[in-house]
Amino acid sequence: MIPFDYRLAPDVDGAVAAATGWGGVAFLAGGTNLVDHMKLGVAAPEVLVDISRLPLDAVEELPDGGLRIGATVRNSDLAAHPAVRRDYPVLARALLSGASGQVRNLATTGGNLLQRTRCAYFQDLSTPCNKREPGTGCSAIGGYTRQHAILGASAHCVATHPSDMAVAMAALDAQVTVLGTSGRRVIPLVELHRLPGDEPHRDTVLSPSDLITAVELPPLPEGTRSLYRKVRDRASYAFALVSVAAVLRVEDGVVRDVRIALGGVAHKPWRARRAEDVLRGSPVDGSPADEEVFRRAAEAELAGAAPLAGNGFKVPLARNTVVSALRGLSREER
Amino acid sequence: MSLTPAELTSAVSGGIGSSPQRPDGNLKVRGEFAYASDLWHEDMIWGATLRSPHPYARIVSIDLTEALQVPGVYAVLTHQDVPGQNRYGLEHKDQPVLAEEVVRYQGEPVALVGADHPETAQRAMKRIKVEYEVLTPVVDMETAADDTPLHPGGNLVRHVPVRRGDQHAEAEVVVTGRYEVGMQDQAFLGPESGLAVPDEEGGVDLYIATQWLHVDQAQVAAALGLPLEQVRLTLSGVGGAFGGREDLSMQVHACLLALHTGKPTKMVYNREESFYGHVHRHPAVLYYEHGADHTGRLVYVKARIYLDGGAYASSTGAVVANAATLGVGPYDVDNVTVDCWGVYTNNPPCGAMRGFGAVQAGFAYESQMDKLAEALGMDPVDLRIVNAMSEGSVMPTGQVIDSAAPVAQLLKLVKDKPMPPLSTVVDLRDMPGGVSNTTHGEGVVRGVGYAVGIKNICFSEGYDDYSTARVRLQVINGEPAALAHTAAAEVGQGLVTIMQQIVRTELGVERVTILPMDTSIGNGGSTSASRQTYVTGGAVKAACAAVREKLAKLAASRDLSAVDIAGTDLTGVDLAELLGDEVIDETVEWRHRATEPIDPETGQGNAHVQYGFAAHRAVVDVDVELGLVKVVELDCAQDVGKALNPQAVLGQIQGGSAQGLGLAVMEEIQTAGGKVRNPSFTDYLIPTVLDMPPMSIDVLELADPHAPYGVRGVGEPPTISSTPAIVAAIRAATGLALTRVPVRPEHITGT
Repeated sequence: MIPFDYRLAPDVDGAVAAATGWGGVAFLAGGTNLVDHMKLGVAAPEVLVDISRLPLDAVEELPDGGLRIGATVRNSDLAAHPAVRRDYPVLARALLSGASGQVRNLATTGGNLLQRTRCAYFQDLSTPCNKREPGTGCSAIGGYTRQHAILGASAHCVATHPSDMAVAMAALDAQVTVLGTSGRRVIPLVELHRLPGDEPHRDTVLSPSDLITAVELPPLPEGTRSLYRKVRDRASYAFALVSVAAVLRVEDGVVRDVRIALGGVAHKPWRARRAEDVLRGSPVDGSPADEEVFRRAAEAELAGAAPLAGNGFKVPLARNTVVSALRGLSREER
Repeated sequence: MSLTPAELTSAVSGGIGSSPQRPDGNLKVRGEFAYASDLWHEDMIWGATLRSPHPYARIVSIDLTEALQVPGVYAVLTHQDVPGQNRYGLEHKDQPVLAEEVVRYQGEPVALVGADHPETAQRAMKRIKVEYEVLTPVVDMETAADDTPLHPGGNLVRHVPVRRGDQHAEAEVVVTGRYEVGMQDQAFLGPESGLAVPDEEGGVDLYIATQWLHVDQAQVAAALGLPLEQVRLTLSGVGGAFGGREDLSMQVHACLLALHTGKPTKMVYNREESFYGHVHRHPAVLYYEHGADHTGRLVYVKARIYLDGGAYASSTGAVVANAATLGVGPYDVDNVTVDCWGVYTNNPPCGAMRGFGAVQAGFAYESQMDKLAEALGMDPVDLRIVNAMSEGSVMPTGQVIDSAAPVAQLLKLVKDKPMPPLSTVVDLRDMPGGVSNTTHGEGVVRGVGYAVGIKNICFSEGYDDYSTARVRLQVINGEPAALAHTAAAEVGQGLVTIMQQIVRTELGVERVTILPMDTSIGNGGSTSASRQTYVTGGAVKAACAAVREKLAKLAASRDLSAVDIAGTDLTGVDLAELLGDEVIDETVEWRHRATEPIDPETGQGNAHVQYGFAAHRAVVDVDVELGLVKVVELDCAQDVGKALNPQAVLGQIQGGSAQGLGLAVMEEIQTAGGKVRNPSFTDYLIPTVLDMPPMSIDVLELADPHAPYGVRGVGEPPTISSTPAIVAAIRAATGLALTRVPVRPEHITGT
């Protein structure tokens, strides 16, 4: 490990102040991802600002029926929270499908959003990687790409975002509260993560001293159902090949509201707007909640997919997973 | 006067046939067992290994200057510091202790650092400057033999042909297939670890987690340029092996650092380094052609098998012979044409892993049997039974099977088991995808598949395979107590328990102490090839017999003829009274029946000493939309000759079946251009408790008259038939050909 400075943040403002002015700074919360990367030499921050003791570990039920989740709420605690289990099953299931119990006991909400890709080349210091060392090239392109992106990738990076939780939050229209040097701002979760473009080293729109303090979930209308489906190589402890977070409200067999996000397919949690448009149909009539529409919706979303040599299977797999998730939700409805 | 062995129903408890508590059991469950990674010595330093990042490269230069300047560094060593022979290997000495001019695989050791702290060693390692000229790696096993030669003499490690009967036989029904097996890892949980302690006279003591102390000792001594007596090895706590510890890892490295610095030196690999630090199961490409008459009788089998040995030979030669001689499976076939090639490439070195060549062939020949059954319109189990070998059958090598071979019976046993009910209540844990909530039962199709396999037990092809055991009997605190000593490695399989059981049975003494395994006693042979209970068990039994002879003489000299110690057991004898102050201490070398080398042109010869058989039935539910597989039930029947420890037998069958499940649906070291892409347990997936179904197991005990107590090796056979049974079940559910393992979601959903 390379030597680094360690600062214990006194309070939330102090955390941002402590992180300001450094080239290489990282906030330390659960440490489940950052510490691994520091050991591997993938991350080498000059200073760590420890935010694990800040009072950001509460889950609050908001008057409008929504939920505010503090940035250092542990994944295990969030998954077990009664309001999450009752109102946002998609989120509870996404959390529980990620990592292991031990990791979830430490990992935090903010840290989960900011976890970095599991691309093998990103972790392998002996290979070029534009995300780890900008400008060195992408070793995955032309290499082993089974786990990589089929949507929104660039010629510079084909990595995927590894989070399950973030996919659920993308489908829930979550809002992320960020404290920076110029004060507090709110960023829609779907805009927090970037597509790689020509700056794949930037996972998010945040600057290094921006601190995520909370994630807010808006309330879901009465009658809305949600679920998370994750396809992976074994029954537990594995990253998603493809995952689907779906939020659906059907009335009289007609889709009234739908939000879908995909995991394992892109550099960010992928909000499937095209599929949603197909499912919503016309604002007046809506679309029938049937298999044919589900399939058309999934295919519309995946029309733009650009699979690599090793991951063409993800396109039909993502389609089937979307269809199966929607079918499951609409059946629950009946 | 001689004594006959005790009845197996000895009055002493904890003898053979029972399942006494393991001496290491409670410690392991409580986390108190000392594994090799727990070793500690005052004043020790830590070793680290600089490894090649390239699969194939020429080393232009190595600059150690900056690394040596790091405070806390005691030594930085390269091949120039290897005092003896810088070559080692199980069959061919082709592998450098530290690379000289070229590196032939990613992860090949290039330099060593000894430092006061593991972090210091890591820091210094990063300051070693190695300049490489990267070369184009050879990675295709099918063309490697004609590609750039990676070793003097070219890239063919061994070709084994087997020719039997009519080489031009023709048949009414013919099926052909090409099959692939991915690279599986042993995935033992305790990473490679060891501690080397220099003595005052230029020698060294090495405490190490290994499978075979004496072959390690010979290789380490040669590399260090020391006589054997100056290199002493003691087995440390081993956390699993499965073949992956048969080759050297850090054995020489730790000793080099210890002798160079004069300080005890500890080395422990982390999980990533472990993936580079041991050999894997050979990936394989197999071409098969089966011909049968209209009744299903096999007329001929032809096979061409390629095994990727990677950068160094390791045990590739023996794996090739296994795949070739066992290549048609447990079936009677008069006309056989098999060729198996093992080659060098720049992929990770491959060597021993549970099943050892029989696994790769087993997947292919069992896939062929299903294909043949389909072509004939026959039930796949009936087809196997029609062709099943039995005692008296002749192997393709000409060897006659001279003990039980209940192939048909094993198949019938698994076939006749009741089927698991189709679930009416949805429990997500029972569904493909499990608690991932991928399905609630829609799109799920059930399939059933069968397979049977054959494995040679013990070392083959004329190898002088033996074990050495010492048994000591004396009175301690007024009671008779026995002590047993061997160099045979306990790697978690339960050998120490078996040794205790044998001594209890043979001597009628309940208190049996097992000495630490080390090289102060003769060779115990490898903990491989399902052989330790057979061979070291046989040696312990023989040593007990020698002790009994001495007891008899003692009795004669004391004129205790009133006591019938020449009778059938010792239970009537007061051993304490008979022994008095005498100490009986006997050491015996014990060999199984000799085997023969096979003819290099025809593969004929009595190559193997014993054969083991197991059959599986797999029941799977497949989510055909999402490509997910849930193995609902995995049942097994196996003949074990005699279950010395019934609980340990079940454990071996469960574990072997789980490892076969791993190969069937998830386990594979992914390589691209010779580089490993998933060297972690996050990315290399092994089955968890959620993936492994309950098993119903039938254990047959058809004694082998040639083996001690009639035992038949247990550990490997279940690994062979588990994989093809599961894949057959997935095929039955999906109708897909599935010619490659592991089967992944994309193979089921298509691309």
